[in-house]
Amino acid sequence: MSPQPFIKPPPLLLGAALVFWGWQSGFLIIGVGMGLALEGVRLVRNRWEFSNDDFQRIWTFCALVLLASLVYAFNTNDGPADFRGLFQNPSYYNQRNAGAASARTAASVIRWLPMIFFPFVAMQAYSTRDSIPLETISLILRRRWRKASESGEPRALGQDLNVSYFYFGLCLFASCIHTDDGSPFFWGLAILLGWGLWPLRSRRYGLFAWGGSMLLAIGLGYWAQLGVGRLTQYIEGFNSQLLSRLARGRFDHAQSRTEMGRIGRLKASNKILLRLNTQAGLGPPPLLREASYRTFKGITWLSEISQGAFENIPNPSDTNQTTWVLVPGKETYNSVEIACYLPGGNGLLPLPSGVGRLENLGAYLLQKNSLGSVMAQGPGLVIFEALYDPGPTLDSPPNLVDDLDFPGRERYALERAVVEMGLTDVHSPEEIRQGIAQFFASKFTYSLWQERSRRTREEETALEHFLFTSRSGHCEYFATATTLLLRRLGIPARYAVGYAVHEESGNDEYVVRSKDAHAWCLVWNQATGIWEDFDTTPGSWIDIESSRPPAYQFLADIWSRIRFEFSKVRWGQTQLRQYVIWGLIPVLAVLLYRIIFRSRARKRRGLGKAGRREDWPGLDSEFYQLEKRVGQHGVVREPGEPLSIWLSRAVSDPALAEINLPLQRVLALHYRYRFDPLGLTGSERSELRDQVRVCLARLESVNTG
Amino acid sequence: MLESPSTASVDPATVSTPLLPPEDSGGYAEAQRVARDVYRRVSDNISRIMKGQGPAIRKLLVALASGGHVLLDDFPGTGKTTLAKALARSIDAQFKRIQFTPDLLPSDILGVSVFSQRDQLFHFHEGPVFTNILLADEINRASPRTQSALLEAMAEAQVSVDGVQRELEDLFFVIATQNPVEFRGTYPLPEAQMDRFAMQFSLGYVHSEEEVAILSAQQKNHPLADLRATVSLAEVIAMKQGVQTIRISEELKRYVVDLVGATRTAPGVQLGGSPRASIALMKAAQALALFDGSSFVTPEQIQELAVPVIAHRLIMEPQARFSGQTARGALEGILKKTKVPA
Repeated sequence: MSPQPFIKPPPLLLGAALVFWGWQSGFLIIGVGMGLALEGVRLVRNRWEFSNDDFQRIWTFCALVLLASLVYAFNTNDGPADFRGLFQNPSYYNQRNAGAASARTAASVIRWLPMIFFPFVAMQAYSTRDSIPLETISLILRRRWRKASESGEPRALGQDLNVSYFYFGLCLFASCIHTDDGSPFFWGLAILLGWGLWPLRSRRYGLFAWGGSMLLAIGLGYWAQLGVGRLTQYIEGFNSQLLSRLARGRFDHAQSRTEMGRIGRLKASNKILLRLNTQAGLGPPPLLREASYRTFKGITWLSEISQGAFENIPNPSDTNQTTWVLVPGKETYNSVEIACYLPGGNGLLPLPSGVGRLENLGAYLLQKNSLGSVMAQGPGLVIFEALYDPGPTLDSPPNLVDDLDFPGRERYALERAVVEMGLTDVHSPEEIRQGIAQFFASKFTYSLWQERSRRTREEETALEHFLFTSRSGHCEYFATATTLLLRRLGIPARYAVGYAVHEESGNDEYVVRSKDAHAWCLVWNQATGIWEDFDTTPGSWIDIESSRPPAYQFLADIWSRIRFEFSKVRWGQTQLRQYVIWGLIPVLAVLLYRIIFRSRARKRRGLGKAGRREDWPGLDSEFYQLEKRVGQHGVVREPGEPLSIWLSRAVSDPALAEINLPLQRVLALHYRYRFDPLGLTGSERSELRDQVRVCLARLESVNTG
Repeated sequence: MLESPSTASVDPATVSTPLLPPEDSGGYAEAQRVARDVYRRVSDNISRIMKGQGPAIRKLLVALASGGHVLLDDFPGTGKTTLAKALARSIDAQFKRIQFTPDLLPSDILGVSVFSQRDQLFHFHEGPVFTNILLADEINRASPRTQSALLEAMAEAQVSVDGVQRELEDLFFVIATQNPVEFRGTYPLPEAQMDRFAMQFSLGYVHSEEEVAILSAQQKNHPLADLRATVSLAEVIAMKQGVQTIRISEELKRYVVDLVGATRTAPGVQLGGSPRASIALMKAAQALALFDGSSFVTPEQIQELAVPVIAHRLIMEPQARFSGQTARGALEGILKKTKVPA
C-alpha cells in the first residue's frame, strides 16, 4: 500500500475550510465554532486512546445522523407531500414537484455534511493516532477482514487513512450550496485548494513553477466558470431552438427553409415519426400541422415571431392536470390519439386543423404562438388525445399587412401566373381558390426530381422556374406558390408545414413517416372567419412517395415499434412504472430484513453445517427437567457453565445439599447419555429416568418443607 | 510423491493400532486402568517434590500423555526446572537438558557430522535432542535460528541433518521454560514455534505453608536426589495408548472447534487459534478424561484445558494489548459466552 493516506493537512487548513463553509452556507457561527474546536487540538495536551471499535461506533453514529438528517430534510422540504402526490397521481406536474423536493433535500443535506461528520474528524484529531484503519469505515473491508481472520490470515497492514483531507474536500463540497453569486466562493475555493495542495507539491520544481502553474490553473478555472455561466444562460435561453434544430425530421416554429431550387432527388426517410389511433369508423385527420409561417424571404419561410411570443396555455382543470384547452369554449366531437416523440423533452406538437382541446397530455408546460404552433415541454414521448372539429382554430386573425405580403422579386412570376389563370379581374374568394386549384391540378405534376435546366431569364427565381418552366415539383413549391398567389389576389394566406396522414398500419391505427412531411397553405375565409387548409399539391404525391419502400422496410418498422413500446415504458406512458415503484417496496423490505438479520442468519447457517442442534444424542434426557426445577429454585445455569460446576454451585445451598449424591449420580448418567458415544444401556436409561423422578420428588419436598 | 513400502510400514498410526485391545469396553477398560495407574504413580512421585503444584503436575502429565510439548512460563525460582527434572526422574527414561544461551547453535541441539580420520568418513554425533525427555531451559535466550532447530523435532519427531532424516525416540517430550520478566538479551519465540507447544502454563507461587514445607524438605539436601523412577518407558507409552481409547462425542468435537473458531473473530485478537489448536485441545481433553477416571470426554475437561492449550497461540492486537487485554482474558470471555453442551 502507498504511504499516501497518512498525510496530515497543514495547520489551520481544516479550521479555515470550516469557517469558509460556515460563511458560504450560512452557518457562520457553527463553522467558526467547529473550526476552533478542531484547531484547538493544538492547544490541548491531552490525547485520548480510542480503539478501532470506538471509531467504528462514532462512524456508525455519524452514518445514523446522516440518515436522520436525510429524513428530516426530506420532511421539511415537503418531500412526503410531493411524493404522496406522485404516487396518487403520477402526473408530470407532480413528478416535477417530487424531483424538486429531492433536489432541495439533497441540497440541504449536502450543506450539513461537515456538521454531520464533525464528530468523527474531531475524534481523530483528539486521538493519539494519526490515522484510522479503513475497516472502521468500510463495511466491505470489515467483512473481508473478518473472513480473512476466520480463515486464519493475518490482517493486511497499511490500510490506514487520515480522514482530514477527505473532510477538507467535504467542507469545500458542502460550500458549493451557497446563496451568493459565486465570486467569493470561487476565490475562497482557489485559496483553500492552493493552501491544501501546498504541502503535497512536488519538490522537484521550484516555488516559481508551482506558483505559476497554480495561477494558471486558477485563471483557467475562472475563465471556464465564466464560460460555463454564459453557456448555461445561452442554453437556457435558446434551449428550444437549439434542440429543435438538433432534432431532425421535425419542424421549427421560427422558420422553414424550403428545398426550392435544389437540383436532384429529394431524399426522404421511412422513419416512423408519429402514430395515430383514430375513433372507430372515423378516418384520421388528413393533415397534422406543426407550424405555419408568414414571411417568405429567398427560399425560406419565417414566422417572424420571437421565442418570447409563445404564451403559456393555462391548465384550467385542477383535478386533471393532463387536460389542456387550446380554444376555449369550442365544442369538439372528433378525437384522435397521437403519439409523438419530444426529442430532448421539447418540441412542437402535430395537431389536426381545428383542434380545441388536448387530453391526457402529460406535459410540464404547453405554449402556443399566434401562428398556431403548440410547443410542449415534457417527457421524451407523449401520447395524447386531440379533440378537433372544423371551426375556430388557434391561429390569430390575419394581419392585413404581413399576411398579404409577397416578395418583390416574385412579383413578375405571380403577375404572369395570374394572367395565365385569367384572374386579373375582380373575383370572389371562392372563384380565386377554385381557379388556383384548377391551375395546379391541370397543368402541374408532382415530382421529387428537379432537372438542371437553363434559366429563361437572368433573375429567374426558383418559384418562377416552377411556375412556367418545369411545372413540376414537390409540395413546398405548390404550397409556396399557392400562398403567394392568394396574397397577390388579396386573400390572406399562410404557409403551413406538418404531416399528411394516409398510411394505415392496423385497425384504426395510422403511422406517419418522415417522408410524409408536407407543406400546404392556410387560407383565410372571410365569410366564416376561419383559417382553412388549402392543399394544391396533386394527390398523386402520396403514391409517388410510397412507391419505393425498401425491402427491409418491415424490419425497420418492427424496430420502430419496439422502440416505441420501450419509450412508452421509459416515459411513463403506461401504468408499468407505477407497478415497478410498488413492486420495489417488497424488494426493499427484503433487503432491509437481510441487512438487519444477516448476522443471525449467518450464525444459523454456521450451525447448520455440522448438523442441526436436534441431531445431537441424548437431548431427550430427563435431566433437563431437573435443571429447570433447580433453576426455579434460584440457581440458574449460565450459558457457558458446565453442568457439574453449576451443580456444585446449586448444592452449596443447604436446602439442596442433602440430595447432592443422587444428583451427582443422575449427572453421571446424563453425561454418559449425552457425551459417551457408546450411550446408555436400556436399564441405565430407565435408571436415569427413575433417578430424575426421585430427585424431582425430593426437590418438591424441599420446596414445600 | 513416491511412497515406498518401507516408509508405510513405520507409520506410527499403523504400528500403534494393533497394540490396542479390540474396541470392546472390557479391553479398553483394562488399558485405561493401566494408564490411570501409571498416571497416579508418576503424579504421586512428583508431588513429593513439587508441593502444592497439583494442577501444574496434572497439566504436565496431560501434555505428556496426549503427545504434546509444554512451555512453562514463569518467574525465576518457582520450580520450573525442578518440575521437569522431577518428571524425568520419575520415569525410567533418557533425560537431557539444554541450557539455551545466545551463542547456542542448531548443531548444539541436533548433532553434527564429524569427519573421522581413521575411516575417512563422516560420523554423525547425535545432539541432545535424541532423548526421551528434553528440558529446553530458558528457551527464549537462544537466537531464533537455534530455536527453530527444535521446530521439526517437536512437530514431526524427526530431525534432518546433512540431508538425512533421523527418527527420534518413541517417547519424545519437550519441556521448555522461559521467564517472562526479562526482555533484554531474549528472543521471543516465533509464533510458529508457539503453536507447536501443546500447552503453556505457569506454576505460580505456592501458599506460605507449602513454601515452609519446601524449606523443611530442603534443610539437608535436595529431595530430588532421592527421587527414584516409578514407571518404565513402556508404561508411559502404554499410558499414551490408553488416552487413545477415550471416546469423544461429535457434539464435543464441535464445541472444541467452536471455541477455537471464536478466537479468530474475537475483538482484540489479531491471529486466532489454528486447527492444530483444536487437535491439541481434543487430545488433551481425552488425557484429562482418562486421569479423571472417565472413559469419555465431558465439557468440563475441555473448559479446564482451553486456556493452557489455546491462549499462548493467540496474537493480540497492539491496541488491545496496551489497553490491558490478554489472550487469557479473551479466551475466558469466549468460554463464558460460548454455549456449552449440557
